[in-house]
Amino acid sequence: MIVAAPAFLLALAAIASFGLRKRLAVVAWLSLAALFVAFVLVSVTPTDTTARLFDLDLRATALGRLAGLFVLLISAALLIDVYLGEPAYNFFPTALAVGSVALAVLVVSSPVVIVALVVAGLLFPVGSFTYQVHRNRSVEAAVRHFSFVVLGGCLGLGALALAASLPKDQPANTLVLLVVLLFVAFALMLAAIPFHTHAALLAGEAPAAALALYFGVLVPITFIAFAEVLAGSGLLPAIVQVAKVQDLLLGIGLTSAFGGALLAAGANDLRRLVVYAVISNLGSALVGIATLSGPGIIGGIAIALVTGACATQQLLAAGTLERRAAGGRPNVTHAPLAAGAFIAGGIAMIGAPPLVSFPGHFFVDLIAYSVSGTAGSILVAAAVLLLIAQLRAGVRLFAGSPEGWRIEPRPVAGILGGIIFLSLLVGGITPDAFLQPIAAFADEFLKALRPL
Amino acid sequence: MVYLGLIALTTLVANGATRLRLVAVAFVGVAAVASLIVSASASTPQVAVTAAAGLASAGILFVAARDYSYGEDPGWRLWLGTFTAAIVTPIAYASFRTITGETATLPLFQDGSGIIAEVSGVWLLSSGVAVMLTARSAVRASLAALLLVTGVQLLTRLVPEQHLAITLAVAWLELVVALAGAFLIINERAVLDG
Repeated sequence: MIVAAPAFLLALAAIASFGLRKRLAVVAWLSLAALFVAFVLVSVTPTDTTARLFDLDLRATALGRLAGLFVLLISAALLIDVYLGEPAYNFFPTALAVGSVALAVLVVSSPVVIVALVVAGLLFPVGSFTYQVHRNRSVEAAVRHFSFVVLGGCLGLGALALAASLPKDQPANTLVLLVVLLFVAFALMLAAIPFHTHAALLAGEAPAAALALYFGVLVPITFIAFAEVLAGSGLLPAIVQVAKVQDLLLGIGLTSAFGGALLAAGANDLRRLVVYAVISNLGSALVGIATLSGPGIIGGIAIALVTGACATQQLLAAGTLERRAAGGRPNVTHAPLAAGAFIAGGIAMIGAPPLVSFPGHFFVDLIAYSVSGTAGSILVAAAVLLLIAQLRAGVRLFAGSPEGWRIEPRPVAGILGGIIFLSLLVGGITPDAFLQPIAAFADEFLKALRPL
Repeated sequence: MVYLGLIALTTLVANGATRLRLVAVAFVGVAAVASLIVSASASTPQVAVTAAAGLASAGILFVAARDYSYGEDPGWRLWLGTFTAAIVTPIAYASFRTITGETATLPLFQDGSGIIAEVSGVWLLSSGVAVMLTARSAVRASLAALLLVTGVQLLTRLVPEQHLAITLAVAWLELVVALAGAFLIINERAVLDG
C-alpha cells in the first residue's frame, strides 16, 4: 500500500487542515509537514512497485515519481508564499487536496479513474479562485472554469467508457469520433486555444497563488494524464492508422502554440503574459505528443513539467509586484527581487539554454521539423513571439532609474523564484536525471502505439 | 423502455424548473432512475453508492438555494436542451451500435445488454452539454454538471473492468461537482444581492 500512501496522507491532511484552516500558523506547518512526509514516501517507493486497491491496479513508475516530487515541491513553494506573503486560509486544504489527487493520478492505471481524478482536481481550486467577490469578476471566472472543466471531463469520460465497451475491429469513423471527443475534452481542460477563454478570465480575476496552483501543478498533471490515458485507452493504434486524427492533435497544438504566443506578445499585464505563455508552451507539448515519436513525447512531457515550474515562479513574482504596486503599474522599484524572479522565470519559459527547459523545446522543435517544415516553422515563430513578449514585459518592469530600488521587506516570491531558477539550472547541467524517467514512459507509450 | 421514458421525463422536469430547490428535487428523480438502470448490471453496494451520491448531490443543491425563490428561468433554453438530446441520442446510438451484429432488444424494464444504459447516458450527456452551453448562471451550470456526471455514471457501466473503483470515483466526482456548484451558487447570489 506504500504506492497509495502519499496520496492518502495528503487527503487526510487536507481534511485536517480544512478543520484547522482559521488557525493560519498551525495549518501552514501541518500542511508543510504533510508535504514533507509525502515527499519522503514518494522518494523511497521503488519504481515498478504495484498494489491493488478495490479492483484497481496501482503502479509506481519513474515518471510518476518525478512528477510526484515536482508536484510536492511546487505545492510547498506555494504554501510558503501564501503563509508568509499573501495569507489566505482556504488555500491550504485546497493545495493539499490538489496534491493528493495529483499523486493519485500518477499511480492509477485505469484511464476512466485517471480522468475522474483529474476533473475533481481541477475543480478543487474553485474556492481559491473566488475572493472579494463584490470588487471583481472572480465568481464569473470561477463559474466559467467550472463549466469548461466539467464539460471537458465528462465528454472525455464518456468517450473513454464507450471506447472500452465497444467490441474489437470497429469502423474507422467510430474510433475517429471517440478520439476527437477525447482530444476536445483534454483541450477544454488544458485551456488550449480555442478553448482558453476561461483561463484568460481567470488570469485577470483570480489570486496569483491560486493561478499558480492551477497552471503550475494541475495543468502539467492534466497533460501527463492525457499522455497516460492515450497510452492506456487502447485508442493509440487507431490514431496511427487514421492520419486525420493525428493531424487534428497537431493542429490543436500548433494553434495553441502560436495563438498563445501571439496573445502573450500583446498582453498588457504580467499575469496574462504568464498564462498565455503557458498555453503556448502546452501547445508545443501537444505537438510533441502528436508526432507519436520518442523525442516528441519526451520533449512534450518535459515542456509541460518545466512550464509548470516557470509559471509558478512568474505568477508568484507577478502577484508580489502587483501587491506592492497597490493598484499602480508594477515596477522593479516596488520589489526588485520579485522582478528579478519574474525575468528569470521568463528566460526559463522560452526554453533558453542552459536551463532544463531547453531540451524539451529542442526535441519538440526538431521532431516537428521532421514531420513538416510548416509545423517546425510555426513552433519557432511561437518561440520568437514568446521571447518578444518576455522582453517587452522586462523592459516595462525595469523602466526607470535603479536609484530607487530597495529590497522588499519580505522577499518570499523573490527567494522562491531564485530557488526554482537554480533548480532549473542544475537540471539543465545534468539533464539525464530529469529526462530518463520521461524516456521510460515514452518507451511504454510507443509499445502501446504498436502492440505486438 | 420504461426507464428511457422516465429518464427523459425527469430530465425535462429538472431542466424546466425555474427554482433551484425544484431543480434539486427533480434531480433526485434523475438520480433515482439512473440508479434503477445501473441496478441491472451492478451489485447492490455499487447501486447504493451511485444512489447515495445522487441524493447527496441533490441535497447539497437544495441547501445551497437557502430559500424557495432563488433560481434561473430557462425559457427557450429548455427546448434547446431537449431537442439537442433528442437529435444527438439516436445519432450516437447509430454510431456506436452499428457493427455489433446483435439484434437490439428493448425490454420493458431489464437492461441485460446495456442498451438502456448507453442510450440514457448519451441522453443525459447531450442534455447536459446543451444546458451547460446555454446556462447564464451557476444554477443551471450546476444542474448541467450533475446531468453530465449522471450520464457518465451510466456509460461507465459499459466498461468491462474495474466496476467498483469506477463507481466510487464517479460518485466521489459527483459530490465534488455538487459542492463546487453550490459554492459558486452561494457566491454568485452574494454578488447579486450586493
